[in-house]
Amino acid sequence: MTENTVTLHIDGTPYQMPEGMNLVDAARIYAGIEIPIFCYHPKMEPVGMCRMCLVDIGFEARDRATGEPVLNPDGTPQVRWGRKLETGCTTRVTAGMHIRTKTQAVTKARKDILEFLLSSHPLDCPICDKGGECPLQDLTMRHGPGTSRMAFDEKKRLGKHLPLGDLIVLDCERCIQCARCIRFQAEVVGDDVLAFHERARSLQIISISDPPFDTYFGGNTADVCPVGALTTVDFRFGARPWEMENIPSISPHGPVGENIALGVRLDRDSGGVKRVKRVLPRQNEEVNEIWISDKTRFGHHFTLSPDRLQTPLLRKRGELVEASWSDAIKAAAKAVKEAGNRVGIIAGPMMTNEDLYMLRGLAGHVGSRKLGVWPPNLGDPDPVAEVGIAAGSRLTALGKGDAVLVIASDLEEEAPIWFLQAKQAADRGAHLVVANMRTTKLDRYAGHVIAYDFNEGVDVLNGLTAAAISHRWTNRSALERVNGYDELTAALKGTRQPYKEAAEAMAKARNLVVFVGDDGLDPEGHTALLRAAANFLIITGHAGQLNNGLVPVWPGANTQGAFDLGFSSENTRAMLKNPPEVLILAGAPAAADPAYAALLDRVETVISLTMFHNAAAGADAPTTAVVLPIQSFAERDGTFTSAMRRVQRFYTAHGPAGQSLPAWEAVGLIGERLGMPRPPRSSALVMQALTEEVRLYSEMTYPALARVAEQFPPIGASPDFYGGATRSAAGGTGIAWPSRAEGRGKLTVKAVRAPEGVKPGPGELVISPVRRLYDRTPEFYTATLMHGRIPEPFAAVNTADASRLGIANGDSVVVHVAGAAVHVTAVVDSYAPEGVVLLPLYLSSEPMPLVPLAGTVEKITEPVPAD
Amino acid sequence: MNLIRGFVTTFKYLFREPVTYQYPEQERPFRERYKGRHALKRYDNGLEKCIGCALCAAACPADAIWVEAAENTDEVRYSPGERYAKTYEINMLRCIFCGYCEDACPTEAIVLEHEHRLSFTDRRDAIYTKADLLDPPSDGVPDTPQRVPPGSFDRSIPDMQNPL
Ligand code: SF4
Ligand code: SF4
Ligand code: SF4
Ligand code: FES
Repeated sequence: MTENTVTLHIDGTPYQMPEGMNLVDAARIYAGIEIPIFCYHPKMEPVGMCRMCLVDIGFEARDRATGEPVLNPDGTPQVRWGRKLETGCTTRVTAGMHIRTKTQAVTKARKDILEFLLSSHPLDCPICDKGGECPLQDLTMRHGPGTSRMAFDEKKRLGKHLPLGDLIVLDCERCIQCARCIRFQAEVVGDDVLAFHERARSLQIISISDPPFDTYFGGNTADVCPVGALTTVDFRFGARPWEMENIPSISPHGPVGENIALGVRLDRDSGGVKRVKRVLPRQNEEVNEIWISDKTRFGHHFTLSPDRLQTPLLRKRGELVEASWSDAIKAAAKAVKEAGNRVGIIAGPMMTNEDLYMLRGLAGHVGSRKLGVWPPNLGDPDPVAEVGIAAGSRLTALGKGDAVLVIASDLEEEAPIWFLQAKQAADRGAHLVVANMRTTKLDRYAGHVIAYDFNEGVDVLNGLTAAAISHRWTNRSALERVNGYDELTAALKGTRQPYKEAAEAMAKARNLVVFVGDDGLDPEGHTALLRAAANFLIITGHAGQLNNGLVPVWPGANTQGAFDLGFSSENTRAMLKNPPEVLILAGAPAAADPAYAALLDRVETVISLTMFHNAAAGADAPTTAVVLPIQSFAERDGTFTSAMRRVQRFYTAHGPAGQSLPAWEAVGLIGERLGMPRPPRSSALVMQALTEEVRLYSEMTYPALARVAEQFPPIGASPDFYGGATRSAAGGTGIAWPSRAEGRGKLTVKAVRAPEGVKPGPGELVISPVRRLYDRTPEFYTATLMHGRIPEPFAAVNTADASRLGIANGDSVVVHVAGAAVHVTAVVDSYAPEGVVLLPLYLSSEPMPLVPLAGTVEKITEPVPAD
Repeated sequence: MNLIRGFVTTFKYLFREPVTYQYPEQERPFRERYKGRHALKRYDNGLEKCIGCALCAAACPADAIWVEAAENTDEVRYSPGERYAKTYEINMLRCIFCGYCEDACPTEAIVLEHEHRLSFTDRRDAIYTKADLLDPPSDGVPDTPQRVPPGSFDRSIPDMQNPL
């Protein structure tokens, strides 16, 4: 899009708008004139399929001979109108253009199109999930004919509840054939799963993939569908749109911090209390635009699941029995008091900043510094604070001339929205480099795919940095504020530089965003990789610039918040060597790793704050003395900090499960018994205290976080323009804290080396855990409708290794690693690199280590008894 | 003078037929338009007319109606089409008997009939559930849920007159 502003007349009034902009958008945004649409969507290419946006378009006439404008007698330019109406959505703004939207021809065209669409539309509004927020209803009321000339009998009869995959149901009769769903899947996601079948009035949407509608983003098609043709199995008939309150919230799944709105309504089956009926995206162009992953959309069932822990539990005579809050708090406080400063805390991925602040306050009170993060496999996050992606950056701004590096992460599985955005950046012309030890879906869109061997990610980044240094692709002015450049240059001398083109594209890019994951890395490797990425960003001058920087693909929704408040993965690991006397597990499924399951037995007392009383949360450990039920994100308010360091606020959507309390309150009650001041009475006050104590968060008070940044293009604001069921940004768009590179201070580069890594002995392989989007953690598995999508526990074995071990695809195998035995099905293909077995986390309930370790894979000949 | 006129009127009425009904022994006939307690109607084949659209609840000015919908299948069918009312409740203490629900209903499922003797001893008793409101099926017609041949009831809204 050029930034030239031109004059365009709409209905005789001149308006200034950017040249080349889509006419429908420009008219709406710059002139406030609505051109009704069905098929056009600002996030997709226009196709001009529905003809709803017909307008009269004309140009100022020019004299052929002289090129001078032809003027009317009154001095106004003469306009040559087109002979027919044209679709506004396929027209771009040009100088001298005139538009008429109110002529009789236009009005009639709109009437005719609507009559045509309704000629084969069922009389379903009363039972249609879209009814009440349906653009076809709205536009018919505003522009449509009052009557129809067609007889009802002649309507086309088509399939009415055809499952399109197991999450979406299609009603062919309601489809108006706008192809938004197909285009979303093909253009935005890149999963070609939907298509048109047959033609004319028999045209139908079908799924062309096997398994059908196989994608992580399918729910978005039901949002963008301008009619009720696509409905989600989760929400189908769940409520009428006007009956729900839409509570602004933040996804508790994954590091992206997708902005969502929870549609809540009273529910008889849940005992007449409010519950979440559906999850819709909430627009935030700097985070998730208007999309959410299916995990976020459908993974809300844990909030009022009957499996949730309802009351506190206390160990009495060897058994955990239900107890009152006051007894449980008394017992917890007593244990903490006796332990003195020998108290350790491990905070899980869904702990909010308020919870973490109170936990840290408790630790501070008893004089402990053992503030651990779960999972324990993460490295030192300092490079993120130094060169993390600049505050206010948008991945949507990346395009031609920019570059994106994704290293050691399968973005589709770990942060699906970033996958979309990286893919779309590549579509817009950004140079995408994907480096991993295994193949990932993002490889398809990459300009360069760097396949490295296990544990060689750091070498790849060092090689890129060395290439940038030796070819002087560094940024001279940026180097002036860098400490340690010469040492880095010296240390990298002689480093192999096999990926010169990738290094050049990245170094010379206008903007560079680097996603760093923890795939196949132990904590030292992760630390080194983050640092190596920071080195590259610093010396090429990208650090600190808008739309540039490092994005860590953390595992949790608030992992960044935990780091910001002084928790660390390193502290968690240190507890293995030096076990505390009292271990507080705050939403941390620590027993999912055998080493930590053993740790639970080695401490005196475990106090578990949890939503689910299960083995992972310490239910089986004899040391677990107190279990306190805590509330989920929907039952309380709070803040999460996304991996892009954006602090975002979510609001209370419904009442608590059982007697559960917000974790911060439970911790506050324990603290009060230990002589700390009374806990604040609301999470707003906790945050207030936090802002006063933590410098990074000094701006992040609740009122500030509730401010809404203007969104462009605005979706869901106007009656004639339906961009999807996406809610507007109400409730706050959050604030990101700036990285150090955005300030003026010195930046430090430091040479790093790949650590030793795992050295498998003879007959052993590296067993490397990988994260999958759909897993069997209770936070997701409670969404029963997703069960069909969650893979059976499996391990990916390389073809070469498999043939050596005599393992065939589909064999039952047992993976022995670090004393754990994990029973899985072998998937034999080239997905896993040779010598490495990829073992997805949380697919089975058997504990498995969270870091890569050496282990063996053994075929099971006898059938395993089903557990 | 006025005093006399008053007595004359009283005297005249002494010989008229009295208008008092001896309720409850004697009941006064209802006007057709009288709006009493609601009933949920059925089709002749026993299927419920209500499709759980909650338009009545949306129209209700007193917020007295609560509807929750669920999906029909041909094996377990309550009403024609895909959707039926799983929960249907009217709080008779809230209802103002305006009849807006009747007007809003796309299938003429809800009708305010002539039952007017509503008394409760508990606020909860004032909530009439679907079981209380639904008319029983006529003789020889099966109750819902019914098992029906596949594809025989795929329209929620009955066929209408051709639109003009
Ligand atoms: S898509 Fe819209 S117009 Fe069509 S039946 Fe549903 S609510 Fe009515
Ligand atoms: S199903 Fe919806 S989005 Fe897809 S073509 Fe039909 S109307 Fe458009
Ligand atoms: S009674 Fe009528 S308006 Fe009310 S839910 Fe049933 S069908 Fe809809
Ligand atoms: S043709 Fe322009 S919006 Fe469909």
